[in-house]
Amino acid sequence: MTSAAMTVRVDAIVVTRAKAKGLRYAGYFALFLLVLWSIHATIIVDTDWARLGSFGSVMRAVGRYASLDLELVPLLWEPMVETFMMACLGTLLGCFLSLPVAWFGALNVTPSKLIVYPVGRFLMTLSRSIHEIVWGLIFVSAVGLGALPGILALACRSVGFISKITAEAIENIDPKPVEAIRAVGGNNFQVMYYGIVPQIMPIVLGTIIFEWDINIRRSAIMGLVGAGGLGLAFHRQMVMFNYPGVTTVIAAILVLIMLGEVISHRIRKAVI
Amino acid sequence: MPILDVIDLHARYAERGPEVLKGISFAVEEDDFFAIIGPSGAGKSTLIRCINRLVEPESGRILLYGADVTKMSARRLRHTRRHIGMIFQEFNLVDRMSVMDNVLSGRLGYVGNLRSLFRLFPRHDIIRALELLDRVGLSDHVDKRADELSGGQRQRVGIARALMQDPQLLLLDEPTSSLDPKISREVMELIREIAKEYKVPVLCNIHNVQLAMEFCNRILGLQDGIKMFDGPTDQIDRQKLDEIYAMEVL
Repeated sequence: MTSAAMTVRVDAIVVTRAKAKGLRYAGYFALFLLVLWSIHATIIVDTDWARLGSFGSVMRAVGRYASLDLELVPLLWEPMVETFMMACLGTLLGCFLSLPVAWFGALNVTPSKLIVYPVGRFLMTLSRSIHEIVWGLIFVSAVGLGALPGILALACRSVGFISKITAEAIENIDPKPVEAIRAVGGNNFQVMYYGIVPQIMPIVLGTIIFEWDINIRRSAIMGLVGAGGLGLAFHRQMVMFNYPGVTTVIAAILVLIMLGEVISHRIRKAVI
Repeated sequence: MPILDVIDLHARYAERGPEVLKGISFAVEEDDFFAIIGPSGAGKSTLIRCINRLVEPESGRILLYGADVTKMSARRLRHTRRHIGMIFQEFNLVDRMSVMDNVLSGRLGYVGNLRSLFRLFPRHDIIRALELLDRVGLSDHVDKRADELSGGQRQRVGIARALMQDPQLLLLDEPTSSLDPKISREVMELIREIAKEYKVPVLCNIHNVQLAMEFCNRILGLQDGIKMFDGPTDQIDRQKLDEIYAMEVL
């Protein structure tokens, strides 16, 4: 190429790149203005600045939580056990409820692709759309206070994830063992139990363990709406304005969650 | 009387798809080791799978000991499948189960749901499974997981599983395609020995013509869903083979 033609070409490229850059930076600036506007609309306008006081007073308020009420600790053992048990039973019940939902929601095994499959998928989405606190409220108003509504709420909330992953695992199976069990003269139950279940076991177990771990945290919160366990203790300390007590309960929840993590890790290693 | 009599079999995969089998008829006698050969897409796999209705035939009759498989109800079909052992190209084992459980699964057609759930197979089944595993040379691997075995070993588990059914007919779907040449030969020898020993006829879908000519006494040559040759192995010649494989792009 001649040097003149080269110059023209280079100029054209420089102009295009400048335009693209300009457009990009205009975009960033627009984004920046959007963020400023959001901060104004949600924080600046909506906050009670008088109540907030100075930075120092905010720090002092947070500081009230910075100590532990050790006298409370012996009283927390029972709620801790109750929270833990709620998580276990809730997950267990959730597993049983997930079985039919997963079966309905897996395209290759669902009894009816037109009717039953959408129902399965809908139940999965429903379970995950309703927050555990809302499930908790529903069951507390239905069956009263205590651990039972908490267990039911956890079960309903867990179904969504466990059944979704299980259904996806079922849809991804290798059809060959299924074919073999059919060829041997197996009925539908035997095809499922020998052909499908062994293939999905690792994934399903992993998901159940994962969900159980999350349920420990959820079950601690359940008490806030009256469903027993540590949440109830948390609520009591709050209404008494016993800030160190609140921190102690939070510390107890933390201990439970860490315990759950250790157990999950061990079980995973042993089983999967 | 032939063990298996296939009469005018037609099959297609999809509702309005192309016809894969266009009127196949042949018979398998008690001491046959029958090979189905032909180029890819000839319909060999479909034909094998129609015999135990893993693929539903469109029309025609398949008589196993005089009973028409195509007309059977689901329940009767399951009972009949118990008597048809199948050995697959990719072994089709349940990978996470042990070798013993895989072989025992050959008896699933004979045990109820509760026994299946707890894997409580009758004692005589376990004894027979051990005998068969010994016969195929896998006594040392009985409790290993199926996916810990080599290809040749896995196929032998498949053979043991098929024999657990006390089959009246053995269907082989390209049993050696996933195995190396030496192991292929060993597996074919094992099957031939066992078939003779237990007096079970074999219908074998195979794409290795050499193996077919060496181990089988009758040959069915398929091309594009049509029967091109049906006779004893010693009657097939180079010219006939070329005809059958004419359309194959090598």
